[in-house]
Amino acid sequence: MPNTATLQREAAVNVYRSVEQGLKETGAETCGLMFIHCAGQSQPEQQVRTHLEQTSESAFQVWEDGATQAIAVLLPGLTLDEVHYEGLRIKHELQETVPGADPQITLASFPAGERPSKATIQHMAESAKLVDPSEIHIYTLDKTADEPERILIVDNDPTVREFLQLRLRMQGYETYEAVDGLAALELIEKITPDLVLTELNLYGIDGLPFIQHIQNLDVAQPPKIVVLTEQRVEQTISQCFRSGVDDYMTKPFSPVELDARIRRCLH
Amino acid sequence: MVAIYYVVAVNTLYFSILALSFRNIWTIFRRSHYSKYNTLSGSELVPSVSLLVPAYNEELTIIENVNCLMTLNYPTYEVIVVNDGSSDTTLKVLLEEYRLKPVPNTKIRGKISCQKIRGIYHNPEFPDLYVIDKENGGKADSLNAGINLSHYPLISSIDADSLLEKDALIRMARMYMENPEETVAIGGDVRIANGCKIENGAVQDVSLPRKIWPMFQSIEYLKAFLGGRIGWSHMNGLIIVSGAFGMFRKDAVIAVGGYRDGYPGEDMNIIIKLHRYMLENKLKYRVAFCPEAVCWTQAPDSYRILSSQRKRWGRGNLKNMIENRGMLFNPKYKVMGMLTMPYNILFEALNPYFRITGLLALTGYVLMDMTQWPILVLFGLLNVVSGYLLSVGALVLEEIAFKRYNKLSDLVKMLFYSALKFVGYHQLGVLWRLQGHIQFMQNNNSWGTMTRQSWSEEEKTSEAA
Repeated sequence: MPNTATLQREAAVNVYRSVEQGLKETGAETCGLMFIHCAGQSQPEQQVRTHLEQTSESAFQVWEDGATQAIAVLLPGLTLDEVHYEGLRIKHELQETVPGADPQITLASFPAGERPSKATIQHMAESAKLVDPSEIHIYTLDKTADEPERILIVDNDPTVREFLQLRLRMQGYETYEAVDGLAALELIEKITPDLVLTELNLYGIDGLPFIQHIQNLDVAQPPKIVVLTEQRVEQTISQCFRSGVDDYMTKPFSPVELDARIRRCLH
Repeated sequence: MVAIYYVVAVNTLYFSILALSFRNIWTIFRRSHYSKYNTLSGSELVPSVSLLVPAYNEELTIIENVNCLMTLNYPTYEVIVVNDGSSDTTLKVLLEEYRLKPVPNTKIRGKISCQKIRGIYHNPEFPDLYVIDKENGGKADSLNAGINLSHYPLISSIDADSLLEKDALIRMARMYMENPEETVAIGGDVRIANGCKIENGAVQDVSLPRKIWPMFQSIEYLKAFLGGRIGWSHMNGLIIVSGAFGMFRKDAVIAVGGYRDGYPGEDMNIIIKLHRYMLENKLKYRVAFCPEAVCWTQAPDSYRILSSQRKRWGRGNLKNMIENRGMLFNPKYKVMGMLTMPYNILFEALNPYFRITGLLALTGYVLMDMTQWPILVLFGLLNVVSGYLLSVGALVLEEIAFKRYNKLSDLVKMLFYSALKFVGYHQLGVLWRLQGHIQFMQNNNSWGTMTRQSWSEEEKTSEAA
C-alpha cells in the first residue's frame, strides 16, 4: 500500500519525465520552459492554461508538479526573449485575474543541442520557489542540481575581485577571493576549488612559482588554473602554458570571453 | 663678513633649487597619478632590466629582499645577487631557499675587470634569478661582476637592505622610455623603512620611525630628495644617484669603465664619470630623478652606525671632489662645472670649515665688542629659520605629490623634528663630515661598521617600543 508521499513523488517524477519527453519531441528547434509558483495558495493552473489557449499561436503543454507545487509550461519553438515575454504576459494576467497572486517565475530556453537532464528540470522546478516575486528569473544551465563549482579569484585589485565575484556568482558559481599568492595557497588547501582564476602580478610570491606551488599541493584533485593578467610578454605566456596553466587571458578582458573560457575549462 | 655672504649665497641657492622642485611637483603628481602603470608593466615594449644586488653579510635580510625583488610589477627583468665573499652564511641561505645549482661554464666574458668569480648559481624554477659568488672586493666590484653577467640593456643597482615598492621599477622605466636616447641614469627616491610595517617583502603600513636617529634621517632624506634632487635634475645637474636604488644604461656605464673600486662614494663617482664622459664627447644626455619610484631602506638607528655611515659619506664626497676638481668653474662642463661642482665643493665639502671659522669669527667680534651679541643671535636665528623653511618646503612637496604619511600625528611629528634638527643633529652632521675628512687624510678607506636587523626583528622591536 503506497502512502501519499511516494505517490506524490512518483507523480512528480512523471511530470519531469513528461517535460523531458516534451522537450525531446520538439525536435531540432529551441524550446522554452517555464515554472510558475504562487506562494500560499492553490496553483492557478487553469488560468495559465486558458490564457495560453487564448493568446499563444504555437503549441504548448502545461503540467502541475505535485512535489514543488509549481506549474510547468513547455513552449516549443520559443527563443529565450520570447519565453521571457510570455512569462511577463502570464505574470500580468495572473495578477489581474487571481486576487493576491504573486507569481514567482523561472524560465529558460534550451537549444536543440543542450537539452536539460531530468535532474536539471527538477532543480529548475525547485528553484521557482526561491525566485523574488518582483522579477522573472532566467535559469541558466550552469545551475545544475549538483554542487556548484567553486572558483577562487586571486587578484591584488579589489575592483577586479569584486567584479569577477559578482559576475561569476550570477552564473551560479561559488566564489572565494584571495589578495595574494600566500593567502591563496592556504585557501586552496582548505576549500579545494575547482578552478583558480589568478593574476600573475602578486605580492609575496610571484605568479609562476605560485602556479607551480598549486600543482604540487597535496590535494585530491588539483584545481584548473586560468590566468587573467596584464602580462603580455610572450615568454611569460609560454612559460605559463608549459607549467600547466589551462588558459591565459590578458587584461583588459572581455567578460563574455572569460565566461566561455571558464566554462570550457570546467566542462 | 665672509660668513654672512656665505650664508646668503647658500640660502639663495637652496631656495632656488626648492623653487625648481616646486615648479616640477605638479608634473610629477600628474605623472604618478594618471599613468597607466599596470598596462605598461605587461607590455613587450618596456626595455628589460637587470637588477644588481650586491650582498655582503646580509644573511638576515637577503631572502626577504630577494622575494620582494622577484615580485616586482615589471614585464621582463632578472635579479642578480652578487655575494661579495661574505663571511657569514649569505650564500648558503640563498642556495637553500631557492634550491640553486651551480651553472657549468662560469667563464664570464665581461668587459669590466672584477675579482675572481667562484661560481654562478641558478635554478630553472626561478628563471630570472642568478646568484654570483665571488672573492671579496667591495660594493663597486660586486656591481661590476653583476654588469658582466647581466643579459639586459639596462641595469639597476639595489642595496641588499632595501625594499622596492612594487611599481618602483616600472615608474622608472616609464621615465626612461620618454627619452631612451639621452637618458643615461635615473635615480629613485629613498625613504626610511624604520617604523613601517613590513609583510612578506612589501611595506604594508607606512608610519614614521619611533626612534630618534631614524626620525631625523627621514626628515633629512625628504629634504634632500624632494627639496633638492627634483630641482637639480631639472637643470640636469644631478651629481648623485643614490646607491640604494638607481637605473643606468649599461652601455654608458661600460663606456666609463664601470664602477670605481676600493673607495666609498662609488654611487656619486659613477654619475660624475657619466657627466664627464658625455660632456667631453659632446653627447646630448640627461641624468634624471624619478621621485615616484620609491625604495625603502633600513636606516642606521644607533649613533655608532650612523656616525660611521656619515663619515664614510664625507670621505667619499671629498675624494670625488678632489679627483674631479678640474671640472670646477669650467664652462665646458656646463651646469655641472658652473653650478653643481662649485655647490658641492663650497657648500657641501667645505661646509664644516666655513661654519667653524664663521662661528669663531663671529664670537671673536662679539668678545671684542660685547654690544654685538644681538647680531650673533639674529644671525643664528636667520640660519635656523631658513633651514626650517627648507624642511617645511620639502614636507609640502611630499604632501602635494605623494601623501605617503597620511596621519595628522605624523605630520605634526615631522614638523616638530624638523625644528629639533637644528639643536644638535645638524651640528653633529658637520662634525661627522669633518671626521670623515680627517679619516680621508689618514688614508683610511674602509667601509666602516654596518650591522643589520632582519625585517621581522625590526617589526618586533618597533612593536615593543
